[in-house]
Amino acid sequence: MTDFLDVCERAETGPLMTERDFELKEFIPKLRAVVSEHGIEYSGETPVPADDDLADRIYEAAVDFLARVGVYCQDTNRVIHFAEEEIRDAVADAPGECLTGEGKDATIFRVRQPDSDTPARCHVNWGTVHSSRQIAVDVMAANVAHPEAKAISVSAVTNTVRGIRFSAGSPLEMYAGIRAVRTARDACRRAGRPGFPLMNLSPAAAAAVTTIGASAPQFGARPTDGWIIGIISENKLDYGAMNKVAYLLNWGANIGSQGAPSLGGYCGGAAGTSVVNTAYFLLGLVGMKANYHLCFPIHFRHGCCSTRDVLWVVSTSSQAASRNVPLPVIWLGYMAAGVNTKMYFYEAAAYLLAATTSGGDAVKMPTPTKGVKMDASTPMEARFGIETVKAASRLHREQANELVIKLLDRYESRIPDAPEGDRYQDCYDVTTGKPGDNYLRLYDEVKSELSGIGIPFD
Amino acid sequence: MQKDEILENLKNAVIDGDEDRARENAKAAVKAGMDPLEAMQLGLSRGTDVIGKRFETGEAFLPELIMAGETFKAAMAILDPEIKKQRKDVPPVGTVVISTVKGDLHSIGKNIVAAVLENNGFKVVNLGTDAGALEIIEEAKKANADAIGLSALMTTTMPAQREVINALRELNLRDQFLVIVGGGPATQAWADEIGADGYGQDAVHAVELLKRLLNSSRA
Repeated sequence: MTDFLDVCERAETGPLMTERDFELKEFIPKLRAVVSEHGIEYSGETPVPADDDLADRIYEAAVDFLARVGVYCQDTNRVIHFAEEEIRDAVADAPGECLTGEGKDATIFRVRQPDSDTPARCHVNWGTVHSSRQIAVDVMAANVAHPEAKAISVSAVTNTVRGIRFSAGSPLEMYAGIRAVRTARDACRRAGRPGFPLMNLSPAAAAAVTTIGASAPQFGARPTDGWIIGIISENKLDYGAMNKVAYLLNWGANIGSQGAPSLGGYCGGAAGTSVVNTAYFLLGLVGMKANYHLCFPIHFRHGCCSTRDVLWVVSTSSQAASRNVPLPVIWLGYMAAGVNTKMYFYEAAAYLLAATTSGGDAVKMPTPTKGVKMDASTPMEARFGIETVKAASRLHREQANELVIKLLDRYESRIPDAPEGDRYQDCYDVTTGKPGDNYLRLYDEVKSELSGIGIPFD
Repeated sequence: MQKDEILENLKNAVIDGDEDRARENAKAAVKAGMDPLEAMQLGLSRGTDVIGKRFETGEAFLPELIMAGETFKAAMAILDPEIKKQRKDVPPVGTVVISTVKGDLHSIGKNIVAAVLENNGFKVVNLGTDAGALEIIEEAKKANADAIGLSALMTTTMPAQREVINALRELNLRDQFLVIVGGGPATQAWADEIGADGYGQDAVHAVELLKRLLNSSRA
């Protein structure tokens, strides 16, 4: 079995090649070959297929792909290769669960199976940037207070430090990174759940030094929180990411690999993207020693995860992974539409039904407005997500497929011009933290409509 | 081979990303005494047009775009010396230095824009990722660029787009280059705030925007 030092050694001794050659001569042609040899084909008519054989072929294609292509190290310009047996060994040895949180807020994050009647784990809050610490704390605390919530993604709080906009890798980013951890811990305490796990450390940290600095225990981070380490799209790592792995392995903290393959980029269409997304789970295990994974396959043009082809990728790669890879996965979806719009709820329902009936272990409540608008998230979206996840556990893939098609009919054509929606302060009372009447009315209306098409809410 | 057959083969070679077929037919064009410019414009370029349209409608993706571009270049390696012999020049539509800004390692969106620009006749100098303001400006000067394209995928790297524009101002070079910005968190409002010349929400829009801006600045 490979350990992380083997990975580090191969980063210094693997085949030397330019990044361009890796993309053009390795990644693209080998992915195309693997997709064709394993007979992976996309069908837009079935965004949530109930096809175990397809799921297993995608898994085999992902093993094959990772074994043939390896991962490119940008700092050494070398390819880190893994033998097929090493990949399969890493899968066989994976524990399939990880401990998160402390005290009465401690939970085991476990893998699920397609069509499971156990609800997926609800992961609340978003990396959204807020305009003030007060709003960030209010939104986070309200989300953590949902009894069904099991973990949180920390908000970036604001994009400035003492009014100065911080940029990646600057000393100001260190201040922002530390502030984000402290603020999230305060919000969890306020919600009465001080041991609640923060699973996206460190937000606001692009540089490895910020992640590591902000993780010092005196600022509130604990090894039972989770650190997200991004695979650079596509199929690349750098020493920044590998330094984070080295630090967390030495500490014994939870490592979350992150994959975000771009549908329409080097992966090509949905079939290639599904294979690469599944391969990223494997890369997390064998190359990054991850004990959980976070992923968001995303549409290259629309920047969201709710298009028909991305939903197919979510469903098929979730099935491939949950049937074959014992690594707990958080599914993160970026929605095109924003807060206080019907379209957001249609997209979120489609995403959550696809991910959870396909075996998604945990779902992050879908992010409004592609995650790019300030203050564009409220506790109402988390409430909707939790209720939908519960409803989805009463459904099988075939039923989810029919519902997703009905939902796509309601929003698909509007994705390019999706409504931006409101900010927290536009639809919530910022003093009491309660939703305004307009938003409550819209929420009830949408839920009633979605119940009408067959989503079995409580 | 007949002229029409050669042109059709060149077009289809680009569509299929078949470099060998493109080279073979470029040689056939030269051997048959065809005008090399015509071989480029009525053969190869028609192939890139087809791929460009398929890309716009979602029927083709980045791999097809790149392979079409590489095939075009493979054939041009044969046609270009003939074009030069005839002292014909094919000026690019414009020259663009493109990069992901300092601190940001995301490259796919920016590479898609670069590929679509090339397929539309632009000369592109692609600096990759994590490039600092002065490096980008130096490369733009060296390339005698018309425009600079800046990509950022994270909210924490967006300020580096502003940094390039501020540096251009400080160096009294702002008027020499059009600057467009893009990437997930970028918006038209952000472009306006930092004083960019435009915002491209995706590759196709970015190319249209650049063509429009270049036409206005040349007029």
